[in-house]
Amino acid sequence: MELTTTVNDETRVVEVEGTESAVDVVRDGLGLTGTKLVCGSGVCGACTMLVDGEPVLGCLTPATRLRDADVTTVEGVADGDDLHPVQRALAHHDGLQCGYCTPGFVVGAAAFHDRWRAEHGAAEPDRRTIAEALAGHLCRCGSYEGIYRAVAAACRGEHDAGEGTVERVEAPAKVTGAAVYTTDVVLPGMLHAVIRRSDLAAGFAGPVTFPDGVLGIDVLGEDRHVRWAGQPIAVVAAESLAAARRAAAGLAVPFTPQPFVTDPAEAVRPGAPLVYATRAERKEAPTSSEGGAMPAPWKGNSHGPSRAPYLGTVAKRRIGSARTEGRRGLVDLEFHTAAQLHTAFEPHACVADWSDPQYLRVWLSTQGVGAMRLEIADHFDLDPTHVEVVAEHVGGGFGAKLSLTTEAVAAIELSRLSRRPVRLVLDRHEELTGTGNRPGSRSRVSLLVDEETQAVRALTVDTDSHAGVAVGNSVAALAMLVYDRTPRLARDVDVVTNAPPGAPFRGPGGPTIAWALEQTVDEAAHRFGRDPIDLRAQWDGNPKRQALYRWASALPTWQGRPATGSQTGRFRRGVGVAAANWMYFVDPDCEVVVRVESGRLVVSTAVQDMGTGSRTVLARAVAGVFGIDPTTVDVHLGRAHSGATHGPASGGSRTTVSLWSTAVEAATSLRARIGTDLAGAPDGTSATAKRGGDRGLRAVPVTMGGIQVGRGFSAAVHVSEVEVDTRTGRTRVLRVHGGIAVGRIHAPVLARSQCEGSVIQGVGLALYENQVLDPHTGLTLTANLEDYRIPQLGDTPEIDIHFHEEGWDRVPGGGVGLGEVATISPAASVGNAIFNATGWRPLTLPVRPDRLLSGLSRRRVELTR
Amino acid sequence: MSLTMLTAYDERPEGAGDAVYRAGGTDLQERLRTTGATPHVLDLTGVPGFAALERTDTGTILGAGVTVATVARELADAYPALALTAAGLATPQVRATATVGGNLLQRTRCWYFRHPHTSCLKSGGDSCPARDGRHLYGVAFDTAPCVHPHPSSLAMALLTYAATLDTTRSGGLAVGDVLGDGSDPSRDHLLADDEVLTRITLPPPVAGERAAYFRAISRFEAEWPLVEAVVRVVRDEAGTVTSCGLAIGGVAPVPLRLRAVEALITGSTLDDDTVSAAAAAATDGADPLPETGYKVALVEATVREVLERVRS
Repeated sequence: MELTTTVNDETRVVEVEGTESAVDVVRDGLGLTGTKLVCGSGVCGACTMLVDGEPVLGCLTPATRLRDADVTTVEGVADGDDLHPVQRALAHHDGLQCGYCTPGFVVGAAAFHDRWRAEHGAAEPDRRTIAEALAGHLCRCGSYEGIYRAVAAACRGEHDAGEGTVERVEAPAKVTGAAVYTTDVVLPGMLHAVIRRSDLAAGFAGPVTFPDGVLGIDVLGEDRHVRWAGQPIAVVAAESLAAARRAAAGLAVPFTPQPFVTDPAEAVRPGAPLVYATRAERKEAPTSSEGGAMPAPWKGNSHGPSRAPYLGTVAKRRIGSARTEGRRGLVDLEFHTAAQLHTAFEPHACVADWSDPQYLRVWLSTQGVGAMRLEIADHFDLDPTHVEVVAEHVGGGFGAKLSLTTEAVAAIELSRLSRRPVRLVLDRHEELTGTGNRPGSRSRVSLLVDEETQAVRALTVDTDSHAGVAVGNSVAALAMLVYDRTPRLARDVDVVTNAPPGAPFRGPGGPTIAWALEQTVDEAAHRFGRDPIDLRAQWDGNPKRQALYRWASALPTWQGRPATGSQTGRFRRGVGVAAANWMYFVDPDCEVVVRVESGRLVVSTAVQDMGTGSRTVLARAVAGVFGIDPTTVDVHLGRAHSGATHGPASGGSRTTVSLWSTAVEAATSLRARIGTDLAGAPDGTSATAKRGGDRGLRAVPVTMGGIQVGRGFSAAVHVSEVEVDTRTGRTRVLRVHGGIAVGRIHAPVLARSQCEGSVIQGVGLALYENQVLDPHTGLTLTANLEDYRIPQLGDTPEIDIHFHEEGWDRVPGGGVGLGEVATISPAASVGNAIFNATGWRPLTLPVRPDRLLSGLSRRRVELTR
Repeated sequence: MSLTMLTAYDERPEGAGDAVYRAGGTDLQERLRTTGATPHVLDLTGVPGFAALERTDTGTILGAGVTVATVARELADAYPALALTAAGLATPQVRATATVGGNLLQRTRCWYFRHPHTSCLKSGGDSCPARDGRHLYGVAFDTAPCVHPHPSSLAMALLTYAATLDTTRSGGLAVGDVLGDGSDPSRDHLLADDEVLTRITLPPPVAGERAAYFRAISRFEAEWPLVEAVVRVVRDEAGTVTSCGLAIGGVAPVPLRLRAVEALITGSTLDDDTVSAAAAAATDGADPLPETGYKVALVEATVREVLERVRS
């Protein structure tokens, strides 16, 4: 049917079926791709648009509702070039990171603002009011603090005129819907591809036959072995997404099911079905770590242990005799964590254009355009000069977009076969099933302390990681890097199951080990009546964390901490602390070019920006050298091709530390040649610099996968305050202080945003997030954003971020990466705060209401004995 | 896939054999996207009176297409238990679009039913995969073959008002007549495929009614209830409860009106002992599944919560 509607003040006539949703009409029919489709089920609000002035969900609202209506999308919120006050406020207060949820927030918050101002003038709404008004919006990066600040400031009238300073250089593009993501790329003649996946968790798939007229490829591989429910088997391409879906569903896939196991406890029992039956198969197991799996023995479905000992036999002996003797100084606890799904709001997506046989151009939602270009060239046996990878904006990755996966390989291959562009975008269900997770785990921690002095006598940590079919997890080993150099032993085992593979997730292994180790330390402090910060300070030689311990001890939140278990009312407050440690990585091959074009500075390298700030860091580095406004520097990134220099991947906390000093050096050398009179400088004058390693300061003398391990450790300490409702089992995190020691901060507003987001992701890990599989099929049940519960605006604590900027002067630029170290201790600090509030120690993540209620009732029974 | 914008409830176009009705679309559109199904859609929003709200001497009549937001806003004074429940469900955007009728007749939110690659009793299968699978959000009153609770919060609130429902075939139905008792596990309601819920009639407002609604969830809001409860009371000058309606949701195949608990409360002054006894009595008959034992404690907590709120 023909539908007439007014969109952003323009009358449009579009042909619709009528059964589709408004977002489909707006994005596909009208080409207004600012509006984003994320959850498809009305949970996240990314597709919010105004229909006759009312915010509605584009994914659930029938297209027919647009008929003869007045529709405003994110592209129409501004009045021409004059941004809406909410847009200015979000840019100024950095209420966004990757930007993929931002269009929805802009529309929803602008509607709220306009209504509020009409009723309340310039009064400030409180956080609760804002949270209720925007309850239908989610942000995975965790930009909620910035969103609160922005909406409140806009309602106060602070952004009625003028921009205010904006640190994030791409913020204007993101708040207006102009930023282009891979999912927004539409090419003439483009085909749509869909993956046919296994519904069964294990078995052998026979050859896939494609009916006449169906363009498809088999992606299972030669051994034909399916090992998890959701594993890709084949990919088909068709003229429309609907036709591709039909073709994929209609494929005949002969399948011989096999027994499988999804429960790690069952997987290690004798006779359990083997995920990998032969030595050859085991070699092909994917790894869920960034570095690859260490060689370790296999026994059934157990891979490991890989050991990290320091006088390990002594440690074992001391712990063993302390256990026999029932020593009070031995703290022995077992912890469990659930798999956490990355949940990037932009799904894995690829548009491949190989219509010119001589040149392959690939739009890819990736954390590493440069690395992917080389991997694609390698995979398809191409000269890299004939390959280009583009990711202008990336809607979140969190570690899951660091490798070459099916959506890219298949889209490229189908484009080669058809000589037409091919688009493959995962739906939310696929994204939450098969693109990775922070593996679940079981950790046993044994910590022996001297009963007089509480000096550490020994520490052993045994971790089983549950990364589904993947191996290579390093969790326990991270416990060896923090406290005293006393005898200790870490053993890491991968227990493989027929579950979807894990993948690196911000600080791989870090939050998992902190949940176990930092609660064990807290328990030791509690047992001996020691202040948990003082006890850590006694054991911890890291001068940066020592500084953070002093800062944390002085916090009023810490000083007002109640005695553990002293409260009796319904609502119980508690405060907890946890510490974090992370490695310092740098990409020594990073190369940055600065040149003059028409009187403006242009800085470029093949890096990408997934909201973590590469654009801003490059602009600020160059602008600082020339003493100009960073927004006047043009940043060219997100394209890896033969004319671009090597840039770092966005992962391993290596990006900013690789970019900053390199851009400063290139700009400095350009300034030495042309001075600061840009208008007078000849067009095209340029200077290039290469990062190089930190001479003489490497911890490991080799570079692997664009990573060099530098010397020294970054540090963080989080102090959290919670309120536990003992009646309903709900925990609210009220306040979090995050102390981060990564040296000099190059973009303070963005750095704060990222650290706030780390806290919010930690709240999700601590309280809500829980991958659930069906035990009978291995299918992922939490494959939608209703059942996979991530933190909302209203769940956001007040967050205070403190940067300790000293201690990294020997590193060019004076600072290292923070993306990972900031994520490690928040959840553990929440666990310790719950213990402080209730006297019950949560050992299993997430601390859902059912677990809390059952824990508290057990504790009541114990206390009355 | 085709669409008819209906102009009358009884309109039934040719070839509409597998047709589904659509009001706000907040349930249907998600299922169409997830399953890729292409039924004939019969859109009700253009039927005269579908979204009308009419106050008469004998009660208030809601067209089935009145939005949840309208209920929350317009009925706050006259029917506080219903309005508070409406304001407490879903998100502002969903409330702005979703309708009362759609809320009553929506399909289950069970993660097996919503999964594109599983089948269950409600999607044509012959067993409930949640029963011996994962059912953390399942029922605590295990009285029917399907173990997921009915999702309608408004049905729960309407029970406390003894509201009546009209369809294109019958009039004056109770909520229970429309939702059934879950014994037919293939259905979330008992309307025939070509039967439309048209109107909901509430009795005249009661002066002095007070109400409270609470939903136990893990986050701040915008989450399906683990357990929810609503209570409405009228008290005399001495504070004695002269009438009471109390119902719970999120725990059984259909929302439960707890008449025995109402009887405990009626005639009391909502003193602490009565509140405790009523909260405890609310769990009578609970029969949880392996993963839903916590909901029994939450039923008691949630009923206690609404009673404490309504008396304050």
